[in-house]
Amino acid sequence: MQKAISIQNLIKEFPRKNEQPIRAVDDISFDVLPGKIFGLLGPNGAGKSTTIKVLTTLIPPTSGTVLVNGYDVVKQSLDVRKNICVVLQENAVEVFLTVRHNFLTFGKFHGMTTSDIEKKMGRIVELFGLEEVLNQKPIDLSGGLKRRVQVAKIFLVDTPIVFLDEATTGMDTFNKRATVKAIKEEAQHGRTIVLTTHMLEEAEELCDEIVIINHGKIIAKGTTDDVKKLGLQMFYLSLKFSEMEKDLEELMHKFSPVKMDIVNNEVSLTVREHNTALKILSLAQSSGALKHFEISTASLEDVFVELLDRKKRGTP
Amino acid sequence: MKNIAAIIYRDSLIRLTSLTWLFFDMAVPLLYLLMFGVGFNKAVGFGVHTLGSSIPYNNFFLAGVLSMSCFGSAINQAYGFFVDRDNGIFYEFLTYPMTRGELLLGKMMFQCIMALAQTTLTLTAAYFILGIPINIALLPLTIITVLIGIAAWFFALSTIAFRIRRNDTFNTVINVAYFVLMFISSMFYPLDAVPEWLKYISYVNPLTWHTDVLRFTTIGVGEIITVSIEAFGFIMFLLISFWYAQQALKKAA
Repeated sequence: MQKAISIQNLIKEFPRKNEQPIRAVDDISFDVLPGKIFGLLGPNGAGKSTTIKVLTTLIPPTSGTVLVNGYDVVKQSLDVRKNICVVLQENAVEVFLTVRHNFLTFGKFHGMTTSDIEKKMGRIVELFGLEEVLNQKPIDLSGGLKRRVQVAKIFLVDTPIVFLDEATTGMDTFNKRATVKAIKEEAQHGRTIVLTTHMLEEAEELCDEIVIINHGKIIAKGTTDDVKKLGLQMFYLSLKFSEMEKDLEELMHKFSPVKMDIVNNEVSLTVREHNTALKILSLAQSSGALKHFEISTASLEDVFVELLDRKKRGTP
Repeated sequence: MKNIAAIIYRDSLIRLTSLTWLFFDMAVPLLYLLMFGVGFNKAVGFGVHTLGSSIPYNNFFLAGVLSMSCFGSAINQAYGFFVDRDNGIFYEFLTYPMTRGELLLGKMMFQCIMALAQTTLTLTAAYFILGIPINIALLPLTIITVLIGIAAWFFALSTIAFRIRRNDTFNTVINVAYFVLMFISSMFYPLDAVPEWLKYISYVNPLTWHTDVLRFTTIGVGEIITVSIEAFGFIMFLLISFWYAQQALKKAA
């Protein structure tokens, strides 16, 4: 099966005057299968956006092979662009044109006729709640609405691969839901979606597969479940007490949880070992004040934080 | 062609959102000719001596106005890249299914359409209001020269726009370049009487080549051999500018 995206040993360096070049992406390799929603995760400056820029032909790789729908980003950049549409991290709207004209120009750049654009525009405008601003110019709209226009327009075209670089940044909950819904629908129709996000909940909800990168290197990859299972054995506990005693809190701290939050008489904590989770539960029960508990595998966010911590500590 | 048409469509929509911009785009060369040209024509009532004959200043200045409007339009269009960059749309353009060359050609062709309207207005006013004896037989050549002028300057200035990240720096560079290029060219005065050193510098200035060709096609002033060499030089300047603009655009992200 042809891969939607294939990256082999990608390195991207940015030269600097009289200094060593900055290596933003450091020898990464991964594949994305068609029809999948793929997440590129990592902290700020990890190399996510640089990777997206290489994939979308904005910048050439320093070395390595990058294929998008079978086309080489360097040798066949036009063919690559014919197969993609992109929401960049930066806001990108025609601020002096109306929202309608934004849709029309975007569609025309992607080879659509005016009647085709008008036909598809109705559904997208409704999905993203843009009916009332259709004849307004983005220069008069809020940052969130501008972003909505930018994201909405890419659903006009049917390119097989979509790149979303921090697409939901600046959006309110309603629009995030609309975007997530649209992304899921598009993937169901066979489009490949590659997204970068800081919102790990979003990645967990959407992505079939993820790659976590930090300082330009891959630190984890696989399905969200695979990443969660990366030998970390992390568990999430939610404990509700009728009354929370101070010494119980101190005892829990001795188990060195990855994360621990206490609000009123409710404790949420993430621990590394299965046994630790059970010991804490047993301790909580022995207090006699435990009213309710929940235990589950840790969220992707917890795993992400732990992976970055491990990297800092230099532990595998 | 679809992509080029899309760029022209987009740029037309943007230009139509600002009627002030549109007005000045159309009217500035005309105003230059009517105000500056008429004033100088009165001031140097005896006319301008060049190549052994004397011609009214208005007639001489017409080619300068056309050449200047090509340069000015090209500045406006190249500056548009900064506006697009500020709005983020510039980078999105670079991910659209078109070549970098098509993006440049589309922008250039839109400006050529504007220049056609501008030139028609200017030549009409020159002929009917100022009575400048325009060579009608060479009119197609005048139009082609104007279009080549727009294209060459647009590509040259775009190269600078892609290499300079700050619009204030771009403005400074362009203002200085515009000022220097204008006054070391044959735009405002004939080069016959200027000091030798200035003449040599002026003859390596593409603005001189363009103005001289336009002067030949509009009022028939100029030696055919010199003008042919200048025309060839300007076409080379166009091709080199296009190549550089494409290379600069590839690195612009």
